[in-house]
Amino acid sequence: MIKPTLVDQYLAIFLLLVVGVLFAAGSFVASATLGPKKKPSGAKVAPYECGIVPDKEPPSRFPVRFYLVAMIFIIFDIEIVFLYPFAVIFRQLGSFGLVEVLIFSVVVFVSLLYLVSTGALSWGPAKRLQSGMPSRTSESTITRITAEADGPSTHQAA
Amino acid sequence: MIAPALLSPLLGTEALFDQGVGWFVLVVVVIKVLVAFAVLMGAVILMIWFERKLISDMQSRIGPNRAGPWGLLQTLADGIKLFFKEDLIPDQSDRFVFKLAPYLALLPALLIFTVVPVGGIIVISGHPIQLQVADPPIGILLVLAMSSIAVYGVMLAGWSSGSKYPLLGSVRASAQMISYEAALGLTVVAVVLITGSLSTRRIVISQSPNFWDWNFFRLGVVPFILFMIAITAELTRPPFDLTEADSELVGGFNTEYSSLRFALFYLAEFMNTITMSAIVVTLFLGGPDGPIPRFIPTSDVWMPILWFLIKTFAFLFIYVWLRAALPRLRYDQLMDLGWKRLIPFTLAWLLLVAAFVLSGWWGLGIALAVVAAGFLLTRAFAVGQGREDLDQAVLPPIGRRVLPPQLLRTPPTAGDVGPGPGSEGAS
Repeated sequence: MIKPTLVDQYLAIFLLLVVGVLFAAGSFVASATLGPKKKPSGAKVAPYECGIVPDKEPPSRFPVRFYLVAMIFIIFDIEIVFLYPFAVIFRQLGSFGLVEVLIFSVVVFVSLLYLVSTGALSWGPAKRLQSGMPSRTSESTITRITAEADGPSTHQAA
Repeated sequence: MIAPALLSPLLGTEALFDQGVGWFVLVVVVIKVLVAFAVLMGAVILMIWFERKLISDMQSRIGPNRAGPWGLLQTLADGIKLFFKEDLIPDQSDRFVFKLAPYLALLPALLIFTVVPVGGIIVISGHPIQLQVADPPIGILLVLAMSSIAVYGVMLAGWSSGSKYPLLGSVRASAQMISYEAALGLTVVAVVLITGSLSTRRIVISQSPNFWDWNFFRLGVVPFILFMIAITAELTRPPFDLTEADSELVGGFNTEYSSLRFALFYLAEFMNTITMSAIVVTLFLGGPDGPIPRFIPTSDVWMPILWFLIKTFAFLFIYVWLRAALPRLRYDQLMDLGWKRLIPFTLAWLLLVAAFVLSGWWGLGIALAVVAAGFLLTRAFAVGQGREDLDQAVLPPIGRRVLPPQLLRTPPTAGDVGPGPGSEGAS
């Protein structure tokens, strides 16, 4: 009987990785061989805009809130990273481990409280703007659409 | 034999190689890997058919019924068709990253399945073989690591397309996936805590002796529910499918992909659904364990596998059911649920589990502390709501649209309406 070794466990994962890469690469080659080879027209390789010819550069900026979420995530991810070793040997550590993790969790929880109370995790539309919104009638919608449509077109004409 | 003497000094992994890898083990590993790959591909093909058929039944449609009996071969036909389609790379795109992204989406989906215990142990000519592709001691960490890497696939695909819908879809997707990953990680910690091991096989074995030893019951149903919510959001399945919200983002991050590159994203999505269902079964429902026969004493080969398949299938059904039944969340609702509800809740439940494992008195103390923390959090919500107002806001609010001044009920103050196309048009 062969003793179970670690290396064959990781070997299996590695082999599946290789099989996956080969499958993906192989299907790309097959697709390139079987697919049409004519050069696509300029309209085809243009960015997709629901059929409208794109007249603006592709966007390279997006709301800073997404970066903020990514940064906050790091704090919580690090917490999770520290919790795993604790969880594995929790029974050996006993009440000592619990107290340690409790202190640690309180620190993280306080940071969550701070984030929530500064509104850093709020994504909803601003309350002031909502109250400033008119009640929607068909007349107001027509006025709004006209105002919005006039904006860019007069801008372009100028 | 793989030459361990050659490799070990290079890798510095003498401990890994000192047993050596016999040819028998190697053959078994290769067979396992190939079988797992084939089964996964077959399962994905069936799953896509199943989802389409079930959802059309739920919506009083017929669904695919042309290719093969009951339309069973529809997915295969679609796949073959995609081979013959034009492979477009948009000229605004970052070509290398654009080509790399499908790999980054597919490979994590494949690798997660390796740690899922499918059945017991079979013995072939004296060699015990686990019915599981691999059982590394880090088991469940591999799942978390791979689901983190899957974020890159989605993010890079959208970013490299050089087009607005994919970018919006991928930015949303990455924020959503990392948000729910935190909650996901915290629920899994509770499972690890009660098992005392990261290995998926140990997790399954520890749930075996009695029916009420399933983590579903042992941890008190709540972590299971939280895990299901988090994993559905992590998979970006409905009702959390904001990343490919068809009505606003065309198709989300894979809008610019065509031909086989698109097929691989689709494949990865469904493969993730299947593997994550299997992971839920492994972590909370005892994996291959079933009422008859119990997983641990039995030496039966087929019944545990059957139980595993039944349970996994039940979750696949639930995912399709959710898609048919629930409307999509709004983005602020999604982020609120992830950050303000799930993360504090999972953390509190984890501490409760840890305390009650230790002793009842600790449990009681922590329960009181959790209630106090709940009150604090409610207060913080109230304070945070006020801060969404413009003049106190830390960040400019999302979705702020500059309205023409005559449309505002209250006359705008200075700084409330900035310069923008809307205000120009109104003047």
